[in-house]
Amino acid sequence: MTSFDSKYDMFPAGDVGVVEGEMNIPSRGVPSGDSMEFNTLDEPIKETFMRDLRAVGNKFYHVLIPREKSSLLKEWDLWGPLLLCTFMATVLQGAEEADNTNDGGPEFAEVFVLVWIGAAIVTLNSKLLGGNISFFQSVCVLGYCLFPIALSLIVCRLILFATQNTFLFFLRLTITMVGFAWATFAATKFLGDSQPDGKKALAVFPICLFYFILSWLVVSHSNV
Amino acid sequence: MTHVNTGDLLNFQDYSPEHNERSARIDVEAVHTNQFNTMSTSNYNYEEPKPVEEEETTPKTNHNFWTIEYYQKYFDVQSSEVVERIISSVLPQKVSRNYFDERIKGKPDLYGPIWISVTLIFTIAVSGNISNYLQSANKAVRWRYNYHLVSYAASAILCYVWLVPLALWAALKWTSTADSQDEIETQASSSPSMISLFCLYGYSLSIYIPVAVLWTIQVSWLQWLFVLMAAFVSGAVLIFWLLPALKKSRYYLILIASILAFHFLLATGFMLYFFHVPDTATVPSVKDLSTVASHV
Repeated sequence: MTSFDSKYDMFPAGDVGVVEGEMNIPSRGVPSGDSMEFNTLDEPIKETFMRDLRAVGNKFYHVLIPREKSSLLKEWDLWGPLLLCTFMATVLQGAEEADNTNDGGPEFAEVFVLVWIGAAIVTLNSKLLGGNISFFQSVCVLGYCLFPIALSLIVCRLILFATQNTFLFFLRLTITMVGFAWATFAATKFLGDSQPDGKKALAVFPICLFYFILSWLVVSHSNV
Repeated sequence: MTHVNTGDLLNFQDYSPEHNERSARIDVEAVHTNQFNTMSTSNYNYEEPKPVEEEETTPKTNHNFWTIEYYQKYFDVQSSEVVERIISSVLPQKVSRNYFDERIKGKPDLYGPIWISVTLIFTIAVSGNISNYLQSANKAVRWRYNYHLVSYAASAILCYVWLVPLALWAALKWTSTADSQDEIETQASSSPSMISLFCLYGYSLSIYIPVAVLWTIQVSWLQWLFVLMAAFVSGAVLIFWLLPALKKSRYYLILIASILAFHFLLATGFMLYFFHVPDTATVPSVKDLSTVASHV
């Protein structure tokens, strides 16, 4: 048993004042932590939904105009990549035909696997090269940077409603190339600093290849 | 071989790659006198450096198979080194003679083989679709692209890059004759490890990437010319780097012939399956005629 030093005997036993007060965990202004937990149960569903949607939209905006990096990296989420991947896989499917030798395009599952496994492999590569970024942050960035490619897919699909000729093909090619360049530029801006010097090109090349493959799928998609 | 004191020969010399990683390489053919110096000094100092080096190397080699750090040692390359290795797979005279022994064997990397294979798969798929389109451009049949060329190209390339080095490694390991003159197994004369063979084969595929783009030109003799040139250059460089290891094997000539044969087979297979323009002019079938008629 420990014996208490006499200098600690400031308050003789029995004469201790009532100890009470508020026990608050100081909120950091970030909507996570005990202070918000009770509030979010009471709010209407629309507000919960809109908060997440606003976060996703904010990240899309930062991909289009990559100025500051912290919003994608610090608060990563995978909703945006899921939306983009599902949208692209739905549109890029090849149609079935009875008498063809070529199916036309990939199946839904093939595009899905290509996007997710491709992002995982590129992330694994950058981790193996010694980058200091977490797995999901990198997958989040790669997924969100699909946004320019998805935009170019929408524009190409609209162009395909007209009757095709060579000029329209080159227009689609140009738009897809712009989407590819934009996506690669945005992704390297976010992920480039996490690599040690001398290995940056090694980490950027797989990102380039990944977006090139997806852009090739976009430009090859046609209903002609 | 210079005359070596048998007393010095009996001392334990450590030529393993881990301990030599940070020190200068000993060029075996060149200065045998180097060994005298290191032998005499390391006799006395051998106990001292060893514990220090053990501490340095145990953190690296003790990692579990399932952690990332275990594989990081295979990605320990700079961008300039990767470019240098690619050049060395096509133009061996631009790099030093002992490049394979010094650099690649001691520090094989997996970055090159993996990403060159993936790039080649997609280059072949894209160029194959382009060449397919060009072949059908003058017909009125509506053309659609074939995404599944990716899976065919992937199977072919992955089989080649994995199985052929494995077979070669097994052949070299079990048919190498022990060199009776040389009791010390130096780094240069031990049979190459599995990973370094895999690395060499992966880099040797790098020439096919520009050639795959050039194969879209629909001129038949030009395509065959590219097959011969690419397979010859890349196969010759492969043999050149492997020559010291191959010479130790009993089936020296058979191995060389089979390495070259597989290389040619791969190039020819690519060209014929993905890019080849059929020689005979295709007689328009009834179906084609009816589609043409309906378009008019």
